Amino acid sequence: MNVLVTGASTPLGTALVQALLDLQDTAHVVGVGADPWPRELPPPGARFTYVQMDLTHRREIRSLLGGPRRAVGVDAIVHTALHRSVQAAGRRVHRLNVEATRALLELAQDHPTVRQFVYRSYAEIYRVAEDSPCLVGEDHPLEFAPEAPQWVRDRVEADLTVCSQMGLSPLRIVVLRCAELFAPDSGSQIYDYVRSRVCLRPIGYDPMLNLLSMEDAVRAHLLALRGTVQGVFNIAGCDTLPLSRLVAVTSRVGVPVPGPLLAPLYRLRRATVGTEFSYRMNAPRFHLGGVLDGSRAHSELGYEPRAPLSWKEVRRWLAEERPSLQSFRRRRRLRRTTAGNRAR
Amino acid sequence: MVFRPGFGPARPAREAAIETFGEAAARRIAKVLLPAADRERLARLALPDAGHGYDAFGLHPAWVALSVGVGRFLYDYYFRVESIGAENIPASGPAILAANHAGMLPLDAAMLHLDVLRQSEPPRLARPVADWFVPLLPLVSTLFSRSGVVSGSRRNVARLLESGELIELFPEGVAGIGKPFSQRYRLQGWTVGHAEMAIRHRVPVVPVAIIGSEEQWIELLRIRRFHWFGAPYLPVPLFLVPLPVRYHIYYGEPIVLHEGWKATAADDPTIVEAAAARVRQAVEALLARGLRARRGIFR
Repeated sequence: MNVLVTGASTPLGTALVQALLDLQDTAHVVGVGADPWPRELPPPGARFTYVQMDLTHRREIRSLLGGPRRAVGVDAIVHTALHRSVQAAGRRVHRLNVEATRALLELAQDHPTVRQFVYRSYAEIYRVAEDSPCLVGEDHPLEFAPEAPQWVRDRVEADLTVCSQMGLSPLRIVVLRCAELFAPDSGSQIYDYVRSRVCLRPIGYDPMLNLLSMEDAVRAHLLALRGTVQGVFNIAGCDTLPLSRLVAVTSRVGVPVPGPLLAPLYRLRRATVGTEFSYRMNAPRFHLGGVLDGSRAHSELGYEPRAPLSWKEVRRWLAEERPSLQSFRRRRRLRRTTAGNRAR
Repeated sequence: MVFRPGFGPARPAREAAIETFGEAAARRIAKVLLPAADRERLARLALPDAGHGYDAFGLHPAWVALSVGVGRFLYDYYFRVESIGAENIPASGPAILAANHAGMLPLDAAMLHLDVLRQSEPPRLARPVADWFVPLLPLVSTLFSRSGVVSGSRRNVARLLESGELIELFPEGVAGIGKPFSQRYRLQGWTVGHAEMAIRHRVPVVPVAIIGSEEQWIELLRIRRFHWFGAPYLPVPLFLVPLPVRYHIYYGEPIVLHEGWKATAADDPTIVEAAAARVRQAVEALLARGLRARRGIFR
């Protein structure tokens, strides 16, 4: 099996490349990332190639599947490359999140060797409302609210773009709507929330959350690649717990605050310290929660969460971070990127 | 077997030992409030655990114990609940308890919840199904979900039944709990969802009549423009506390609504309505029996 993995420089992409290379039946892996060769990835060799590429340019995507790399004979594409920052917005971000997904899918359909397309989607695309069930199935309504941040809207659009080709395309398409991948640098809002020593939460509410470990996320992708079914699957994690318990196991201090005060307080925090966490985006699930129902993935894909998060390791990650300085730099970089995107 | 999301390996001892303030407080208060016999019954409850001591709906054993500890004073001393026909509660497997609903606040649901826990052998926890606005209520939503209440969506009920749980449904809904005093013991709009779920999931329905709750609180007036946190209205009671009426809970024989039907019959409105009418008649018959047997509202 020859696999092309987009987003190979992200933590999930890196772990996926490693896992694929550990499999005997993987002949070649092509990793595609926006950054220069990440240290975590293996060195170039007979079984692995890394391509640094900007997926917002259709021409580059074309060169990825055609040209000299056509000889590799890619059988499957795993698309995980989406912009991770909630604060980033603009046309360029949309081009990466949606247009690149569409282009990659179209080119894969016309490609002579590609047979499978696995798309990593997100649980955040589901609408959270008071009449929603606690367990969220694949047929749950999606978040189409115009006031939703671009991060969500883009993901909904990209997910539907891929889903719309199911059954019409010669490809076997699998969409994995993953629960919150709780790891640093993976774009996890909840991880960013607990990066702060003091975690504010709405008074009177303690929603249930479901968190996914990297190991389970990788295993779900491998099962999707090696399986024979196509469809949309919720990928739930092992850790189902309320927000208050998450705060406790990460050794943070939870402070209940009246709901209406949370948005301005977190806005203030973002402006002063600089964080990725957006309360506006998370407000519905910080009140009502929602846990992915993974029955379909269990019965059809054979996926069952097995690897719980190692909270000891999570506490170590959090202790190693230097939030204020890192965040300040990240915020400055982000502002420039967003301003640039809007200008374009 | 139904896959429970988040069902994973046991936590390492250190993480299991970490308690939130709420969990620790609930455990300690429950220990003070509950006598040894109740603690022993609670210990025998088979509660689902999604890995951190909570199930996917938010239920936690310490909070269940706290709710039982607080509720038992109402159950034993205030409403002096008498239970008739509790042998009809299925000892195992999924089932729906369909009851009449009244009393301004869902104290009848709480008493039924406690009665099932006290009377069933082995002890079972009935999961009350609340209206959709309940998850919006601050504090109440958390306390309810920790004690086993789930919001009334189709998927929630389906998942609970598939997991073999006993659920407590009030087909009258808000119309029932807010019924005027003059309409007491007259079933209001009887929804059919319970019958549909029973046919689809092939589970029995146990009709339940709660005598006493319909006189516990008289509504003086209703502020219809009050919709905070999604509430349909704000009731203003005649008394600050409910009357110490005596509760009599009657359990009827389980009704097998799915007999002779396939699961797809749940899609046929005629079949479902007829099935719901059977349950309604059974509840009405139990209500009539209970009212005939009662010697007074406080006795």
